[in-house]
Amino acid sequence: MLNLIYWELFKTYSKWRTYIGFIAVGVLIPVIMWIMSYSGEQMIQRQLRSLQKDFFISGNLFNGWVIGQLIMNGLWVHVPALIALVAGDQLSGEATGGTFRLILIRPVSRTRILNAKYFATLLYTASLVLFIGGLSLGLGLWIFGSGDLIAIDREGISILPESELIGRFFLAYALAMWTMFVVATLAFFISSFVENAIGPIITTMTVIVIFLIVSNLPVESVENIKPFLFTTQISVWTEAFKDPYDWSKIIKSCAALGINSLLFYSATLIIFKRKDILS
Amino acid sequence: MSDIILRTTNLGKQYKNRWAAQDINLEVHRGDVFGFLGPNGAGKSTSIRMILSLIKPTTGTVELFGQDLFKHRDLALQNVAGIVEKPDFYLYLSAYRNMQIAGSLTLGKTPADKRIMDTLNIVGLAERALDNVKTFSHGMKQRLGIAQALLCDPQLIMLDEPTNGLDPQGMKEVRELIVRLTTERGITVFLSSHLLNEVEQVATRMAIINKSKMLVQGSVEELLKANANKFLFNVEPVKKSLGVLGKIKTVSEIIQTEEGIIAKVNPKNIPSVINELVKAKCKVFSVQPKRSLEEYFLEITNET
Repeated sequence: MLNLIYWELFKTYSKWRTYIGFIAVGVLIPVIMWIMSYSGEQMIQRQLRSLQKDFFISGNLFNGWVIGQLIMNGLWVHVPALIALVAGDQLSGEATGGTFRLILIRPVSRTRILNAKYFATLLYTASLVLFIGGLSLGLGLWIFGSGDLIAIDREGISILPESELIGRFFLAYALAMWTMFVVATLAFFISSFVENAIGPIITTMTVIVIFLIVSNLPVESVENIKPFLFTTQISVWTEAFKDPYDWSKIIKSCAALGINSLLFYSATLIIFKRKDILS
Repeated sequence: MSDIILRTTNLGKQYKNRWAAQDINLEVHRGDVFGFLGPNGAGKSTSIRMILSLIKPTTGTVELFGQDLFKHRDLALQNVAGIVEKPDFYLYLSAYRNMQIAGSLTLGKTPADKRIMDTLNIVGLAERALDNVKTFSHGMKQRLGIAQALLCDPQLIMLDEPTNGLDPQGMKEVRELIVRLTTERGITVFLSSHLLNEVEQVATRMAIINKSKMLVQGSVEELLKANANKFLFNVEPVKKSLGVLGKIKTVSEIIQTEEGIIAKVNPKNIPSVINELVKAKCKVFSVQPKRSLEEYFLEITNET
């Protein structure tokens, strides 16, 4: 199995398309930092203006942690497309290239091949999320320095001490990774029944948009299904910046996301095992 | 172990109301070069895809080396390799990497460097081992496909139209390679083709498929026996020559065609027949054996 995974990873990381996500993020994050170095301070001051009437706030409020959180907020819509770019190509790419005829006539079961491909997909997803985290925090802390994090959301403002922030960001990225695994599994699932890589990318993004709309619909009839949609849980990573942690909510969200991944993967396995290779 | 290494029983695939292949009963013996003949669209590729587990059959069974393909897939395919239609590769990787991937899927571990290079050497690609496959010509890809098939020392190689798209030199090379595989390495070759002369030159046994159904199966020699000893006489004047040939006792089944006169003659008697024609002042331009497989094939496929 390890050999199969090794070669799936080798194939994945030998493709140009795999690096598109890394290059895009690698360019985007420094650009965001550069823009923030000019206007970020004012933006923070604007957000805290009302607070400063009643409180005296001292220290470096505009720091690398703040930038890291802002980038997470801004990128979560775009990262699924970058993940679908690779995950959506895992099975459809083999169909397009005719290489299913090469690998599926060997004495290895389709289940094992699918497992190896899925594992490679998850590793790519994890590596992209970690790259975003490492680059945004590393560059942010290097350029803007460290300090406490002022986390602002709908429920209010929390000031999180610097000493807790490594752990909180670790949790935030772990949750973001778990969420992105669902996106990767969805794209992987769609790639099992099409024969070009464009279809899974577009379809994955379409599904995300539709599910997001349903997740935000203020309609009573869909309230029951909302918790099970992965899009409802897509911002679970923000729970890492709540004080105190709402572990119950985090566990429920993670379970819902896990069920989504499991369902998508099971469907992929059923389709793939029954699939006639005609390409 | 049985001498029959591939057996299909009532193998068939139905798409909605159309049968792509039906009641395919093949028996391939160890050491055969088995020709699987049929016109384009006859069901050859569908049958091969079912045998190699790319397509789930609607009916029937496949037995490889005594193992039921659908019950013990991995065991059944352990000694089998193949190229289905055209060989396709990871074009962004080198020939060497492609060999490693194919080998690791069969062996369960990455094959040794020497083994890969030796196999590439057999097909004349050792010097291009590190080049990306996207730079390869069709002929080179075909040879690389055969190298991948050979890599894990299979006992049965299934080749689906292996000379498709190749130039005459490439076709000759592939044919020679097939013969070498059986004579030097004892590999059984299952060769699907719509090219009659290709099968005629290399096959020891064959089956003919047309309109999704298998028509005949047997040794090439036996199947062609009825049509043996036919020759095409390119002679002038035709009418006079017909008369002369008709009087020779060793000549029979004389037919006038657009190409010339076709007649059944024992090859030993050809010099005396030519002598009689020359004596009668007929001009003999050529005497060629008639391609009997072509005749046989057309006859049998036209019947269905």
